[in-house]
Amino acid sequence: MTDFAVADLTTLTSTSSTPTPSDGSPVDCQPLDCNGLTTREINQALKAIAATGQASVTVLNPTGRHNLAVGLETSMLIRFEGSVGYYCGGLSDHANLDIQGNCGWSVGENLMSGQIIVRGDASANAAATARGGKICVLGNAGARAGISLKGATLIVLGNIGAGSAFMMQQGRMIVCGDAGANLADSIYEGEIFVGGAIASLGADAQVEPLTEADWQMLDRELGDWNVKAQDYAFKKVVCAKQLYNFKPRDFAQENAI
Amino acid sequence: MCGIAGLIYYDPEQYKSFGSTLLSLIQPLESRGPDSCGVALYHDCPTPSQVRLLLGSLQNSDAPWQQVRHWMEQSLCIANWQAIAQVQQVTLDLAHQNFDLSQFKQALHHQFPALHVVSAGQAMEIYKGIGSVEELAALYGLRDFSGTHGIGHTRMATESVVDTHHSHPFTSSYDLSLVHNGQVSNYYKLRFQLERMGAVFETQNDSEAIAHYIYYQLLQGKSLEEALHQLLADIDGTYTFLVATRDKVALVRDKYAAKPAVIYEQPGIVAIASEYRALLNLPQFDSTAKLREPGAGEVNIWSVIPTPQATYASPLSLLTP
Repeated sequence: MTDFAVADLTTLTSTSSTPTPSDGSPVDCQPLDCNGLTTREINQALKAIAATGQASVTVLNPTGRHNLAVGLETSMLIRFEGSVGYYCGGLSDHANLDIQGNCGWSVGENLMSGQIIVRGDASANAAATARGGKICVLGNAGARAGISLKGATLIVLGNIGAGSAFMMQQGRMIVCGDAGANLADSIYEGEIFVGGAIASLGADAQVEPLTEADWQMLDRELGDWNVKAQDYAFKKVVCAKQLYNFKPRDFAQENAI
Repeated sequence: MCGIAGLIYYDPEQYKSFGSTLLSLIQPLESRGPDSCGVALYHDCPTPSQVRLLLGSLQNSDAPWQQVRHWMEQSLCIANWQAIAQVQQVTLDLAHQNFDLSQFKQALHHQFPALHVVSAGQAMEIYKGIGSVEELAALYGLRDFSGTHGIGHTRMATESVVDTHHSHPFTSSYDLSLVHNGQVSNYYKLRFQLERMGAVFETQNDSEAIAHYIYYQLLQGKSLEEALHQLLADIDGTYTFLVATRDKVALVRDKYAAKPAVIYEQPGIVAIASEYRALLNLPQFDSTAKLREPGAGEVNIWSVIPTPQATYASPLSLLTP
């Protein structure tokens, strides 16, 4: 196991004394290049840079590596120049990630708060079990998007794959495109808005009409991405709550017919 | 967890680099499967009327290869015999005789119980073993392999022992190979049914059943596409697998989309890998290219453009019963 001393990071953060632009906003420090670093070193470097009070950092050459920016508790903007691998931004609090590429499985898994933007496509399990914050996928998301979602908001401007929102417990999903088969199977709570076609609903999921408040919320959430909610025929999927309680079969009634 | 990869070249200029590129594609996937690895490679210029067998031994000790050669020469015309590390590459000339692979396997097993046919085909050669991709490549000199298409695998065993015999790719007929990531849940039932239909299983690995299943469906006269769609209904479990034949490569993902795959398609090349980061090793990888993931229950099939040599009439039918 390599211990990565914070002192080693002086080279990475040496530009922190660079004068700020005239508008007073803090400038980016020197980018963090992943080449030659282990995943552990990259994540520790990100923590160290955040500790210096930098407002943002650009990460170069992520090359699809797994577990980047995992377990961070900083609102420093981390911009990934390229595609990332599995679990990016997972287990984080106050995350602020901008991924300029695609991401692998389970982006933002168990996110507590903050925002993750994926400019490309997300693979399977996007926002799995995420408890808070917002995960925005500007492309498509793969299978099981929002699986076991526990309170976060997942916005997908493209399509989502099969088995999405499986066992969702709380939170919100907004999908402009199509949803794959078995959407919201065994959902407990929460709501899913789908602008395109739904291949099929899972057990105990049902479509219900949107309220005026829903449309306003969609406009607000999608407005950030210059998308008009009215351009889509949004459907709202919620739990039918038919599986909440055990229902004994009335055999006497059935036999009577 | 395992790693799988597939590669198809459409540009004959590139054929020479085929071996090294396929190996560089599976090498990063070692982290998904560190115990063994293997590749099925397809030649760019198979010789008409010739069939290549790779013979291996189930035991580590030296096999009596001289005896084997002598025994084979009694009934077969051997055009070339070459020892490559732990396997013997035997090229048969079938211009003037018939050859039945299953009969040969039976006879070989009877005569030399510790020996087996690793692969057989006009275009295909399978090399596999425990250890790293680097070791495999060095052992068999695979970086120099000139080819049109092929598939590769890095294994983390879940269902059967770790040895060369149980590592991927698996084959069930001439020029037919398979690499699989996942588990077959109805393996025993499937194996029982396939054995009743005449399949001879050589390992305890559940992935071998998929290879036999596909061959069985082809024998029934189904196209590869029909066979693979039927497979989605008949084989239960989690699987993303690649199957290669003389002229096709197919990628199949189960209806749960439980195992990963990423597809990179550009003019001149198709590459498939379990993870995106493996694709970065492709020469001239275009980072702006749109990548694609197969959906749940999706079957993708690519045709391989045959070389002029390969279009000669074959002395064998793929489906010799």
